[in-house]
Order: sequence, then C-alpha cells, then structure tokens
Amino acid sequence: MPQKKQAMPPVQQWATPVVLGWLLPGAGHFYLKRWNHGILLLFAITSMFAFGLLMRGRMFEPETGDLFTTVVHCGGYIADLATGALYFLASWLGYHQEYLATSVADYGTKFLVCAGLLNILAVIDAYEIAVGEKH
Amino acid sequence: MHLSLTHLQATLLFAFFTSIVMGVIGRNTDKERIRYGVSVFGYFIVVIFGLGWLMYLGHG
Repeated sequence: MPQKKQAMPPVQQWATPVVLGWLLPGAGHFYLKRWNHGILLLFAITSMFAFGLLMRGRMFEPETGDLFTTVVHCGGYIADLATGALYFLASWLGYHQEYLATSVADYGTKFLVCAGLLNILAVIDAYEIAVGEKH
Repeated sequence: MHLSLTHLQATLLFAFFTSIVMGVIGRNTDKERIRYGVSVFGYFIVVIFGLGWLMYLGHG
C-alpha cells in the first residue's frame, strides 16, 4: 500500500538552528538549548578541523575534469564548506595548503573533510530536534 | 607549527572525535548515547587493529 507523503515542516521552524549549526558546529544545538550536546559537537568537530590544519591537510577547490576528479574535488569542496565559519576563517587567514605528498598531510585532508561531514550530521540532528522528530 | 603523527595516533584521534559526534546524535537518552559512543569507538579500535594485522600478514 503506498504511503502518504508527509508535508514538509514550516521553514521558520528549522531554518535558524540549521543555519546556525552550519555556521558554527554545535550552534544549532545551543539555539535549541541542548547545551551539553552543543559543547560536545563544538569540541569534537572543531578539534578535528584544527588537527586537520595542524597536519597540513589540504582544502579542496571545486575542479572538474574526468568523473573521478569531479567527484573527489567537488565532493571534498562541499564537505569542506560544511564546516561553515571554520572553513571561511581558515581560508581568510591563509591556511590553504599546497598539496603535500606525505601520509600525515593526507590524514589532515581527511580530517578536514570528515569534520565537514560530521557537521552535516550534526545539522541534520538539529533539524530533527527542531521539527520534533527527535527528543 | 605542524603535527607529525603516526598512522596509529591519527586513526585513534579520528576514532575519538567521530565517536563523540556519533554518540551525541545517535541515540535518544544520555545513557544510550554514552553506550553507543563507547561502542562506536570500540568498533573503530577492532577495525583499526584488525585491518592492521590483515595488511601485515597479507604482506608476507
């Protein structure tokens, strides 16, 4: 039996925590008064980002070419952007690294990308709390 | 200033931060969250050492 499609919750209900959560990891949870969760998310995601920079990880630029290049560079760029203010601040302060062929720098690049991916999960969590799907 | 970590240190650090986030967003009560975060970290450790040994033994 086909399921009835659920209506999208009103934008004003979730937009603020989602945008705040994107701009600063954990800020969406702070807005929703989930202080402990916000602090843990801020600590974990910001630390991961900071360790990525300290390991001389590289931030992606959107590049196109063959399918693999497009997926890796555009996907990496989107994930880097997902860290919000951390990305913009690091770019503004000149922390864009040249590509370094070392395993530590490679780990650093993964740390930067994963910080963004974890922040996307945190933003989704803030959305679910804001619309009442999660307690 | 830059850090020079070993593979093990980098993966343990990665596992630690990822487990915190997974624990916070993964469950509904604080008790479940702590248990889930610790479990995720434990799974990471098992996979890190498991794959490490697999690569070591596979190399001959």
